[in-house]
Amino acid sequence: MTTVERALDHRRNGDRDDERVDGRDDDRDRDDERDGDGDRGNSAPTDRRALDAFDTERWVGVTGVALALVGVGVALRQPAMVVAGAAAIGYGLYARLGEAGEAALALDREVSDRTPDPGDEVTVTVRARNVGDAPRFDLRIVDGVPPGLEVVDGPARVATALRPGAGVAFSYVVRASRGVHEWGTTRAVVRNASGSRERLTELETPTRLTCTPELATGGDLPLRGLTTVSHGRVPTDVGGSGVEFHATREYRRGDPLKRVDWNRRARTGELATLELREERSATVVLLVDAREEAYVAERPDADTAVEASVEAAGAVFTALLAGGDRVGIATMGPRDCWLPPGAGTDHAVRGRETLATDPALAPTPADDRFYRTLWRRRFRRRLPGDAQVLFFTPLADDVPVDAARRLDAYGHLVTVLSPDPTVSPSRSPASTTPGRKLAAIERRERIRTLRGAGIRVVEWGDRSFPAAVASASGRWSR
Amino acid sequence: MRPLAVVGVAAVAVGFLVAVDRGLAGALDLSFVVVTLVGILGVLQGVRYASARRGRERRSTDLGEPERRERAAVPGADFDATVSRAVSARRRWGRTARDDVRSRVREAAIRAVARERSCSAERAAELLEEGEWTDDRTAAAFLSRSISYPIRDQILGGLPGRSAFRNGVTAAVDALERATAGIDAGAAGDDERAVDERKTTTDRSGGNR
Repeated sequence: MTTVERALDHRRNGDRDDERVDGRDDDRDRDDERDGDGDRGNSAPTDRRALDAFDTERWVGVTGVALALVGVGVALRQPAMVVAGAAAIGYGLYARLGEAGEAALALDREVSDRTPDPGDEVTVTVRARNVGDAPRFDLRIVDGVPPGLEVVDGPARVATALRPGAGVAFSYVVRASRGVHEWGTTRAVVRNASGSRERLTELETPTRLTCTPELATGGDLPLRGLTTVSHGRVPTDVGGSGVEFHATREYRRGDPLKRVDWNRRARTGELATLELREERSATVVLLVDAREEAYVAERPDADTAVEASVEAAGAVFTALLAGGDRVGIATMGPRDCWLPPGAGTDHAVRGRETLATDPALAPTPADDRFYRTLWRRRFRRRLPGDAQVLFFTPLADDVPVDAARRLDAYGHLVTVLSPDPTVSPSRSPASTTPGRKLAAIERRERIRTLRGAGIRVVEWGDRSFPAAVASASGRWSR
Repeated sequence: MRPLAVVGVAAVAVGFLVAVDRGLAGALDLSFVVVTLVGILGVLQGVRYASARRGRERRSTDLGEPERRERAAVPGADFDATVSRAVSARRRWGRTARDDVRSRVREAAIRAVARERSCSAERAAELLEEGEWTDDRTAAAFLSRSISYPIRDQILGGLPGRSAFRNGVTAAVDALERATAGIDAGAAGDDERAVDERKTTTDRSGGNR
């Protein structure tokens, strides 16, 4: 429900009305304390850019009607018709009366929670006051809701008339989703009294909402065998101390007695030492495909593959850090994002921040162009030599396939984790268009190409990511 | 237009003169015919002005729908749009769109057939041309120059509201889906084999110990 309250008699010198509005000002003060931005929105006009006024063509032809009426009156000697024509001339004059001025408004936007959790409903209240000298007979205000947020209750707009000093307030509810959401330009359309002229004014009231999800757990992905020299939990093909059998070798002086193969000694009389697989830690870089091509979903209103990738990357990030591996984050996209591999609590916090709020992983695609050669060069320069790459991509085109194969060829073992945006939203085959089918066929072909090149691929569509990982790890030998 | 404007200016000037000096009005002929003519002239001119409204759109600022979250692209939606364009456009304009659609399906088909039959891309292209890759004749005809559509498709495609091209696309994609479904059954095995091969190359850093 929209609450459109009008504070028409909101004068700045104290009377009863003012007290009522003051109650709300308290709210605003609290809000201001939070973001430390003074008492704007009270009287200072908001930064604005007014476009040229234009004709709406609403009254076109009214003078013609007037003239025709007078003509008929004269021709038929009917004074009543001539008088009616005169009234129409009045309308013609009315249409030319007045100009649509700029919307000189003091805007103030208040958000009930600036750091909500994903899925929370956040109430946004916008107050506008006419701080210009002229009354605005027809004023429409449309708030610049961030493209990544969906309004779930009430329209983010209001239509009203404001005389100088009067104000209007309207509120709506948005559902929070991951990312930093910045409010864009609020647009105010002013028309003159007759509606024959119209002017658009764009007003800037920056507001920011940051939604940082808790990182999910359950992405305990078996890593591939590229490791660092430190101990960890990735089994390697190097013999030493560990838990899993690797090989036997001739006994050398100084080998621990508990690793002597006593069975063999009993059978053949020779001394042999058991080698176990050494378990080491790995350096892992989580690479998220955030190109425009990756912002795809099975339905236009569903979460994009980038969201699914980020959520899965979060789960893997937590799991790997907990296992003692060093984890970094990078994106493949027009904007640069690089969190060097690291470990520890600080790093966990930084990783969570990066996944939630980095502009490179914004909920909507960036407008910038993506240069893949430049990106590849920069990414390779940054990537530590012993790092393996977990590549999150929906595989919506051939670029990620090429990138994964190149990285793998450079020796950074790559595992591709792919949310499937081609699954049909409903199971009935009739709703599956040829385009969707073809996209699914092409994507499957890409996965086959990757697997053919020895790159592990996990895909998940309607199943959850942990379930997909669990079933894939069962299939993989190390 | 110039003489008309001169007449108009002269008429207005006479009007003002009459308003200033009433005596001049007597010189004007106010007979039935003249007044009726003036009236008809007014009507005609009025209708001309008023008809300016016809064909004019009212203009207003498009405020859009900021309440809706930005729509995500759906995989394959671009392909469906191209198919619709190819079907609805006129013969000449539709050709590029039809070529786009056909080449995209053909590319996917070549890859799939080459993988399924374990042959080269050239051989796969030959198979497509010969129509040997599927037993659906409509699908085969869609991707081949030498095969024509079955009679039934040609008749149905000629009916209003039906399109042989759209029929062909649907049949070809369906046939492709069936052809690739067979390969998928072995996908899990592929994966294991691929990783097994790589086992020999694992632990590069450990080797330097």
